[in-house]
Amino acid sequence: MTEDNIILEIKDLKKHYYKGKLKAVEDVSVNVNKGDVLVIIGPSGSGKSTLLRCMNMLEEPTSGSILFHGRDITKKYTVDENGKKVKLDIDSIREHMGMVFQHFNLFSHKTVLQNMVMAPVKVKGMDPDDAAKKAMDLLKRVGLEDRADNYPIQLSGGQKQRIAIVRALMMEPEVMLFDEPTSALDPEMVGEVLDVMKGLAKEGMTMVVVTHEMGFAREVGNRIVFMSDGSLLEEGSPSEIFNSPKNERLRDFLSKVL
Amino acid sequence: MITVEGFEKTFRYMSMFWQGMGTTVALSLLTVFFGFILALILALMRLSKFKVLKALSSAYVEIFRATPLLVQLFIVYYILFDGIALPGIKLFGFIRFDRFVPGVVALSLNSGAYLCEIIRAGIQSIDIGQTEAARSLGLNRVQTLKLVVLPQAIKNILPAIANEFVTIIKESSICYTIGVQEIMYTVASVKGATFSIGEPLLVATAIYFCLTFPTSKVIQYFERRMSRGDRR
Ligand SMILES: Nc1ncnc2c1ncn2[C@@H]1O[C@H](COP(=O)(O)OP(=O)(O)O)[C@@H](O)[C@H]1O
Ligand SMILES: [Mg+2]
Repeated sequence: MTEDNIILEIKDLKKHYYKGKLKAVEDVSVNVNKGDVLVIIGPSGSGKSTLLRCMNMLEEPTSGSILFHGRDITKKYTVDENGKKVKLDIDSIREHMGMVFQHFNLFSHKTVLQNMVMAPVKVKGMDPDDAAKKAMDLLKRVGLEDRADNYPIQLSGGQKQRIAIVRALMMEPEVMLFDEPTSALDPEMVGEVLDVMKGLAKEGMTMVVVTHEMGFAREVGNRIVFMSDGSLLEEGSPSEIFNSPKNERLRDFLSKVL
Repeated sequence: MITVEGFEKTFRYMSMFWQGMGTTVALSLLTVFFGFILALILALMRLSKFKVLKALSSAYVEIFRATPLLVQLFIVYYILFDGIALPGIKLFGFIRFDRFVPGVVALSLNSGAYLCEIIRAGIQSIDIGQTEAARSLGLNRVQTLKLVVLPQAIKNILPAIANEFVTIIKESSICYTIGVQEIMYTVASVKGATFSIGEPLLVATAIYFCLTFPTSKVIQYFERRMSRGDRR
């Protein structure tokens, strides 16, 4: 594996709350390689969301490092090749990482199309017409082109989440982070969202997915990590994790969810 | 004693009441406008990550909310504007500039403190998920505030801002004490000319009511309509 194939390198990550009384993430090290579909599983409260949200610095880690293409994004300042101190521009890093939330978080005062074009136009300086065209193409891909002028409130949960995914794709991210994207959905809508995610994985998108959908994890994931009480207890391929789990707590967890 | 005769005499000065009403409305509109801008700055200071700005904003709000408006008005008029010679011109022929401006300034400074709390609450009522989504797309803090948070917050607090306008219409009567020729000043003038106080006061009451009551009702109507729209 060459250096360039590693998108995210997480080393000894800790995230503590209440002055260390609550260890949400404790000494987690994991890499995200190009093309990976890394699935994070574990009981609720085990630190999955916190780990994921640290990856794009929505949460500030207590200690440890997160290298994005070799650059530590947990440090406010880094030193460049010439030994000069440069301030880290976290916004320009986040551009390259899409994120999809459990509760969709579409901008409620904007239409679907406006939701999608805002970031490319304002952050990348993309031409508004080009952005709109690109948005319509993406909407077609998820079968929602007739919803372009709707407001989020007029959409079902499944539709909202599909929009949230294509909104993130508008920025052409290198990696997509999903935090339980189907947990807030009615059961009949889970499939439509998972289908979009499967499509993305098939196209080679690098993804990190926190989910309770074990079927998805087994079928689409190429690496699974299991977290419990803030620690990463086991990592492996889907067959290793699901067919021959080693860790006691993982076995216990699987017996409950499968 | 209220008499028909007294009303007849008072009604002869109706044009003065209309001018007083115009002054009151102008005073209140300008106060909401400048008060809002000031409040927005104060609210952003309050929510910023710089401790000094936070402290300054809190101190401002606390001081202005803990002291009487009359005291603030006098300080502005007699101390702040003491050395400033405003031109003695009349706007529209009846608004005395040198009295009106200190009035607007004092009311705006006061209203800014109250509106600041309204705006702050409005910003904090916006789901943090909206900010997180914006930041995750690469928008910076300022863009997130300008494009995502503030438009939603301000829409939510429009009724509260309109209510503040109603409050200011009533409180602006205090400006009569520094010689702003608004509704209450008209009452005093008409009293001087007609030697009766009751009738001019009742006319003033009716004008205030006609200004504030319909405005409140319109606000309530929109408030109800908006809360219906927000239900999911
Ligand atoms: N902002 C926060 N403040 C305090 N505690 C938090 C915060 N966010 C998460 N936690 C705590 O950290 C632990 C891990 O949370 P989380 O990462 O959301 O777990 P998961 O996503 O696996 O359900 C939980 O105990 C949770 O209560
Ligand atoms: Mg979670």
